Amino acid sequence: MSDTRQFCDLANQLVIEARRSTQTDNLLKYNDSLVRSIIREQRDLEKAAQQYMVDADMPPPPLIIYQTAIARNKRCLLAYHNHRLERLKDMYWNLGGALPQILNNSETRSKLSPHEVDFLREYNTSVMEFRSEFSYELDITAGIAVPPKDINVSVFVVRDCGVIQTEQGSIDFRKGQRFIVRKADIEHLITQGYLEEVA
Amino acid sequence: MDWEEEYNATRSSGSTTLVASSASSGARATDINTRRAPSPDAMSIFDEPAATTPLQQLIRHWMNERHAPTILPAQEQLLGFLLDHIRRQTDTVQALRGDPSTSEEEHIRIVLVQTEVEQVKFIVRSYIRTRLFKIEKFARFICTDEETQRLLTTAERQFAMSHAKNVDRHFNLTVLQSLPPGQAYLDHTHEWEPEMTTRPNRDRAVFAYALRACPPVRLPSGLPLEFKKNQLSVVPYHVVEEFVLRGDIELV
Repeated sequence: MSDTRQFCDLANQLVIEARRSTQTDNLLKYNDSLVRSIIREQRDLEKAAQQYMVDADMPPPPLIIYQTAIARNKRCLLAYHNHRLERLKDMYWNLGGALPQILNNSETRSKLSPHEVDFLREYNTSVMEFRSEFSYELDITAGIAVPPKDINVSVFVVRDCGVIQTEQGSIDFRKGQRFIVRKADIEHLITQGYLEEVA
Repeated sequence: MDWEEEYNATRSSGSTTLVASSASSGARATDINTRRAPSPDAMSIFDEPAATTPLQQLIRHWMNERHAPTILPAQEQLLGFLLDHIRRQTDTVQALRGDPSTSEEEHIRIVLVQTEVEQVKFIVRSYIRTRLFKIEKFARFICTDEETQRLLTTAERQFAMSHAKNVDRHFNLTVLQSLPPGQAYLDHTHEWEPEMTTRPNRDRAVFAYALRACPPVRLPSGLPLEFKKNQLSVVPYHVVEEFVLRGDIELV
């Protein structure tokens, strides 16, 4: 197995990683080392392309090859980052916009790069701003996958949540108890994992 | 006089003659029957969706929004009306629940009202989030396209700008600033590459259901297609785009 690599091999690896992430429905760790090596490759390509930057009628073929490789690398990098952003946004909305839950979970946090954490924070701010317009009447971060069939739902408490204010008064949720409560009141607790819906 | 005979007699006369009012209670009914039935063309005017409730209108807009590849005009008035309605209903419900004089029957009715309010809230939520999803997807395109900006509410415009800025900043920090200056721009694409900004794809196929008969349109293959009332077809979106905006066709 020779040691030489084609141009954009590393970029292909990045893209394959993105695909793997979609297929396993799992956010993989941010591949910082691969990204850095690709950027290094870009710089080398640029240096190698410099010598061909003559002002001729037809650009010399090596220049075209270098430019194509540079463009492809850049696109693969951007695609990888964009893909991760999409997955982060999906995760954010699935958890009902609970940013602390994502950031405090050390397992998830370790998979993100610091820039992605900043992005999530900024995204959270803009969503909060947008949400404040409607939040008097309805909460737009609640679930939209399943239309509501019943207003009451039977739940089982998985973790202690303490005293929660509901329409029927304040209820103290302790681990192991079952309640029948209004779905809208405790939906956010279900998405965050404190309560479990029982059939 | 037999009711059947009277009815048949007046039907066969066919013109708008008033039947001499008899003592029977069937007289009023026969008056209506003697009026000539409106012709089919005139009937179509009576099928106007002006009688649909705001909720039905919202459901139609919601379905259209979910299936269309572009962003449709924002229905601010409709949303505002429905949100106000929801607020008034919840306030009334709260007041009635706290009032000790409400009867058992009222409580059951309150439960029904609350169920319906939840369903309406679900639809409004889904509508808003579908639009938000599309806005996120086309955020960079929206910042440069005046026409699409007119279709959004102020809050949505602001969200689009801040989202585009956020994504751009992220790309800059992670990738572009480390690259040599010649490559450090996002929009610098060659002719053989697709563009960096995602534009709405108007060629996507949609299921179009015609609520009213429409003038003929031209399909990409060159054949003309005319939508008759209640016709369901699969067409590329751009073929029926203006009909959807006018409300003649809905997407399913």
